[in-house]
Amino acid sequence: MRFQDASRDARAVVYAGVQADPTVARAAQLLAAATTGQRLLARAAMNGQSDDPAAWRVMFPTLFGPRAEAAESERSEAVLTAALDVAGRGEHARSLYRGAIVEALTERLLAQRVQPAAVHRERRILFDGVRSEIHPYDVTVELPDRAEAYDCKWGARGINAEVLLQLDLARRNAELEGARLVTALVVFDSRRSCRVRLARQTPTPGVRLVALESLDALAGGRPGVPGALAGADPGRPS
Amino acid sequence: MPDVHDTIARATSALDALARAGEAVEDEWQYVTDLHAVWRARLVQVATARGTASVEPGVLEAVERASVEIEAIEDPHRAIDWLSTYPQIVLLALGETG
Repeated sequence: MRFQDASRDARAVVYAGVQADPTVARAAQLLAAATTGQRLLARAAMNGQSDDPAAWRVMFPTLFGPRAEAAESERSEAVLTAALDVAGRGEHARSLYRGAIVEALTERLLAQRVQPAAVHRERRILFDGVRSEIHPYDVTVELPDRAEAYDCKWGARGINAEVLLQLDLARRNAELEGARLVTALVVFDSRRSCRVRLARQTPTPGVRLVALESLDALAGGRPGVPGALAGADPGRPS
Repeated sequence: MPDVHDTIARATSALDALARAGEAVEDEWQYVTDLHAVWRARLVQVATARGTASVEPGVLEAVERASVEIEAIEDPHRAIDWLSTYPQIVLLALGETG
């Protein structure tokens, strides 16, 4: 099993510009330290509706109300500002930015668990004797004795048979080579919604799910220990 | 004083309208139907468990504001995004988990 940078077509070049926008890095930085409630606020505001911050403060009384701690309120304000910045970019751009933010967030959280140099973006995984897939994985962790591959989605609606198949195939090919590869879907949406989506897909029990509520599992655990993604769900709803 | 039952009744009414908007995306009809059923059941579960407990004005205001927001949605794709997000806002305001 080996890794390779994905080749860049025209779309990838445009998307790379979005990924490099400081807005994406700023949002990822804030969301990496955010609570689940603050991440939900970001998701809601970036879904697009009101551009009035006051409306969002009303909708999230636990984050902005009188009982919220000052430091948390401050972070909620920063998350809201970043989310509304993305929301204000129009339907198409918003979609690109949301995806890039989930990827950057995943990268940032993983870099809290493993050496940042081991975390890569947009990588293909190659196996001996197997026709290489064009599909690059959004984020990978590449260590000498094991690896992890992640596909990132803004919402549960992004979960589909193709994505699950690609992750599962990579995992099985690695297994055939005797290599260790953890594959997971990172979805910036609730576990419940992801399970609804997964319930009508072909089961891929080897693919893990990291939903909005369990994002911090990416940063937790100890490198090299099986189950380092404790808190992540198996790819099939129970 | 409004109670949890009243709050959830407002929320399920808004959620139903949101699902109707999302159903316009034919390819996602099944997903919209499933999502609607699951989140509606979760909201009703909370109403059943806490029905007559009173809610603070801020919570009622939060649910009303979020409901008004989603009732203004015309784009069915955006409605699908909100079908997952809106119930979580309601639950968070009520101090419940998703």
